[in-house]
Amino acid sequence: MTQDREPTVIAKTVTRTVVPIIAVTAVALLIQGHNLPGGGFIAGVLTATAFVLMYVIYGIDTVRRDLVTRSEGYGLLSGPTESYERTFAAGLALAFGSGVAAMLFEVPFLTQAVVFLEGVPLYGTLEYASALAFDLGVYFVVVGSLLTILAVVGKE
Amino acid sequence: MQPDAGVLVAALALPFVAALLVPALFRVLGQRVAFFAALVAAASFGLLATQYGAEGAVQLPWIPSLGVTLTLYVDGLALLIGFLASGVGVLVFTYSYGYMAHEHGHVKYYATLLAFMGSMLGVAFAADLLALFVFWELTSVTSFLLIGHHQREAASQYAARKSMLITVAGGLFMLAGFLVLAFASGDTAAGRTFVLIGTENSLIANGDAVREALRASSLFVPALALVAVGAVTKSAQAPFHVWLPNAMEAPTPVSAFLHSATMVKAGVYLVGRFRPLFVPDLPAIPEWTLLLATLGLVSMTITAILAVGATDIKELLAYSTASHLGLIIAGYGLAGSEALELGAETGAFHIFNHAVFKATLFLVAGIIAHEAHTRKISELGGLRKDLPIVAGITGIAALGMAGVPPFNGFWSKELLFETTYYVAKAQGGWFWLYPAIAVFGSVFTFLYSLKFLSLFFGDRPDALADVDVHRPPLSMLAPPALLAAIAIVAGVVPQVAIDAIVQSAFEASVPVGVEAHSLKLSIPKLFSFTPYLGMSLLTIALGGVAYPFYDRLHAGVRRARAVDYTSPNWYYDGLTEGANGVSRRLAIAVHGGAFRTYAAPFMLGTSVLALAGYAAAGAVTVEGVGAVPPVPLVLVLGVAVVGAMAVARAPSHIAGVLTLSILGFMVAIVYILAHAPDLALTQLVIETLVLVIFLLVLDKLPAYYGEIRSRARTVADAALASLVGFTVFATVIVATSAQPDGPIFEFFLARAGVPAEHGPIFGDYGGGSNVVNVILVDFRAFDTLGEISVVAMAALSVLTLIGMRARTDVGGDDPEVTEPGGRGPEESPVTDGGATDVDTTEGGEAR
Repeated sequence: MTQDREPTVIAKTVTRTVVPIIAVTAVALLIQGHNLPGGGFIAGVLTATAFVLMYVIYGIDTVRRDLVTRSEGYGLLSGPTESYERTFAAGLALAFGSGVAAMLFEVPFLTQAVVFLEGVPLYGTLEYASALAFDLGVYFVVVGSLLTILAVVGKE
Repeated sequence: MQPDAGVLVAALALPFVAALLVPALFRVLGQRVAFFAALVAAASFGLLATQYGAEGAVQLPWIPSLGVTLTLYVDGLALLIGFLASGVGVLVFTYSYGYMAHEHGHVKYYATLLAFMGSMLGVAFAADLLALFVFWELTSVTSFLLIGHHQREAASQYAARKSMLITVAGGLFMLAGFLVLAFASGDTAAGRTFVLIGTENSLIANGDAVREALRASSLFVPALALVAVGAVTKSAQAPFHVWLPNAMEAPTPVSAFLHSATMVKAGVYLVGRFRPLFVPDLPAIPEWTLLLATLGLVSMTITAILAVGATDIKELLAYSTASHLGLIIAGYGLAGSEALELGAETGAFHIFNHAVFKATLFLVAGIIAHEAHTRKISELGGLRKDLPIVAGITGIAALGMAGVPPFNGFWSKELLFETTYYVAKAQGGWFWLYPAIAVFGSVFTFLYSLKFLSLFFGDRPDALADVDVHRPPLSMLAPPALLAAIAIVAGVVPQVAIDAIVQSAFEASVPVGVEAHSLKLSIPKLFSFTPYLGMSLLTIALGGVAYPFYDRLHAGVRRARAVDYTSPNWYYDGLTEGANGVSRRLAIAVHGGAFRTYAAPFMLGTSVLALAGYAAAGAVTVEGVGAVPPVPLVLVLGVAVVGAMAVARAPSHIAGVLTLSILGFMVAIVYILAHAPDLALTQLVIETLVLVIFLLVLDKLPAYYGEIRSRARTVADAALASLVGFTVFATVIVATSAQPDGPIFEFFLARAGVPAEHGPIFGDYGGGSNVVNVILVDFRAFDTLGEISVVAMAALSVLTLIGMRARTDVGGDDPEVTEPGGRGPEESPVTDGGATDVDTTEGGEAR
């Protein structure tokens, strides 16, 4: 956890393998949430745990250097780690915006709709629920907030 | 003519929208943003001008579910205040361009001033009592910001706090009065309403019934007094006049605006607006007169005397403002006998006259302070040679203020004399005090007006000898010149002002059912002697005789002011400073910093309240408690109980947290057994995360528990813990034993999935088979939005609080140490168990 106790090689190796798996699982949870257990909140917390794991094993500086600085300029993916504060602000804006978007169709705030897309390659018929946008907002808020709290408390 | 709702809303909304745009525009325009603001004020003025002559209410839905509408009402009085706020606004913004050139905080200044102007327009046009209250308090808040413009200076802080405290507190009294009125209106045939005027069911339209209902419940005087408190605190009437002189800490354009045309006028506007409601059409003297006319005349006299004692030109103007507002309130207050109309004429005409000459004088004071670099009366004099135009402007305005014919203030003061004379003649006896006090107070008005004018005459005092007095820039000179021109027109040809606005404004304050006659004033009236003209001449004569002794009077007033017990300021300071001590002691008592200080009473209170509630409602039934749970559940719960006991016995933080998480994981398994995979998943992930965070934090803490020193404390803690445990248990029993008639889950289950037949797009079904998630993101998405806002807010607070601590005390101390040297070790939060440690850290952060 701290500099005086170096994590073991096993811990480092396991973390390196496990973190991508957690990340993929989190994304899967987010997307399948509408039909199977999952959803934005759980996915967000799970993503945060992946970061926490790396943070515990490698230390905050490494996480910052490898994920924040190096990935800068890689477009959307660098977003969540670029600045935690911005992440939850964006998430909140997305969730709120998805509600406002409903009003453009002259239905009450936060009304959700379901769209069936026909003829999508590989999938055939694809169901898309507009709630996904809202869920994505939830996800970003949770990830951003937890990481902010963690980074601030961890720095102490 | 019916008013146009769109135009009214636009005129009201424009200043607020413009206030939002100021920060962006300032980057482009720089200080020229003043002209943008002036343009906005002019646009509002123009929009209101299109409503000239209109009368009536417009209603816009505001909170339709509660039946609250935003009712706007237009009549002469509302338009008078609206024109003053926006018209003087144009001049003040223009003037600010010159005055604020070397000041700081332009964005804040212009944005707040615009918002203030909008609030003032809202006060003038709101017919709904709730809307009126909202705008009323908005003017208090924005004026707080304006008065405290020099936010780093102690005097500004004191002044802003004082005005806020007095006006906001007064506003709350007024709100109570409004509630009483709405309550009383419930007993009338028209039904409960918050609408003051304009509609068929409004309070004023049913004035007789409302008065009767108030009298029946003997609430008439309380309602009148409560509304009056709001009005007199806002209008700085004695004994609440103390905030006004301090408010002169604001930049001078603000003073000119707030204390001549707007803020303080809100109070007199309220009096004028409520007059038809509280004054019945009777020859007798109503409570209204006894309360308001007396208060107005007394305030007028006291503050006029205080103005003579002023040493600073703005202080003089501030006391004079309170004095003239007293005159207006006295005018509106006088009713009964022949004063029903005369009183309203006095009030409405003097609102106009006072705004014109006082705004002029404030702007002149700003010029003097700006060019001569001092506001001390004793250090000023002979400015006529350097500022000839300003001297002329001041002459017109000051003589109007003094009430010298044929300047504008004379006419409205003459109306006051006439009103008091008629009331006294009709009632006799003690009522002769009214004209006597009016004359007595006016003598002092005459004196300080001449004193202000004398700044331009005589010789320059030594203090001013080597000051190079410049001519003011055009943007500072044009506004007072324009106002002086209006003043001279209103003085020489008063009928012009009356026809333009005053006539319709005073009609608004005449009781319903009284046909207001038309007011005629002109110079020839001066040549027919009347008792009230005699009163004017007496005032001027007495003033002329007393003027040579001005310095002695001044010194006498200053000596009287220095005595503690006669100064309301002394009471105010005593009250606020006394409150400081009490609140400090209270803060130490309830805000000790140790976590248990907060947790124990909170938990005890919650438990006792909850249990008492269950007992009172007879909610807890033992039915079904004896049911045997299935074997897997017993196993899981058994492990959880063992884990809980282990937490209590854990020898170190680490062991405590680890055993605590056993409990959490067992709860997750209970969810799985209950077929709630979503909950179980969430619980598992959260439990993991919390465990890691705990371990991170614990790394910084000592590895073992503190000792509990006293046995009594142990027993008390154990008792409290058991009580909390029992409360939670009882709550679960109560919550799960509920059997609602129509279970809502059926709706969710039916609507969550994809319907059997559907088009490519549909909105009424959730379209997902995970009902929990569909509820979260679709049916109850608004809740979720609120929750994630809370999460974001929590993150922000942690960011700010810890960020601030890092800035204030460098080298963040051990979070365990709560109050340096304050608490004994047995008070240490560590005894509260592992779970509280993180909270303690945050508690430490919060300080």
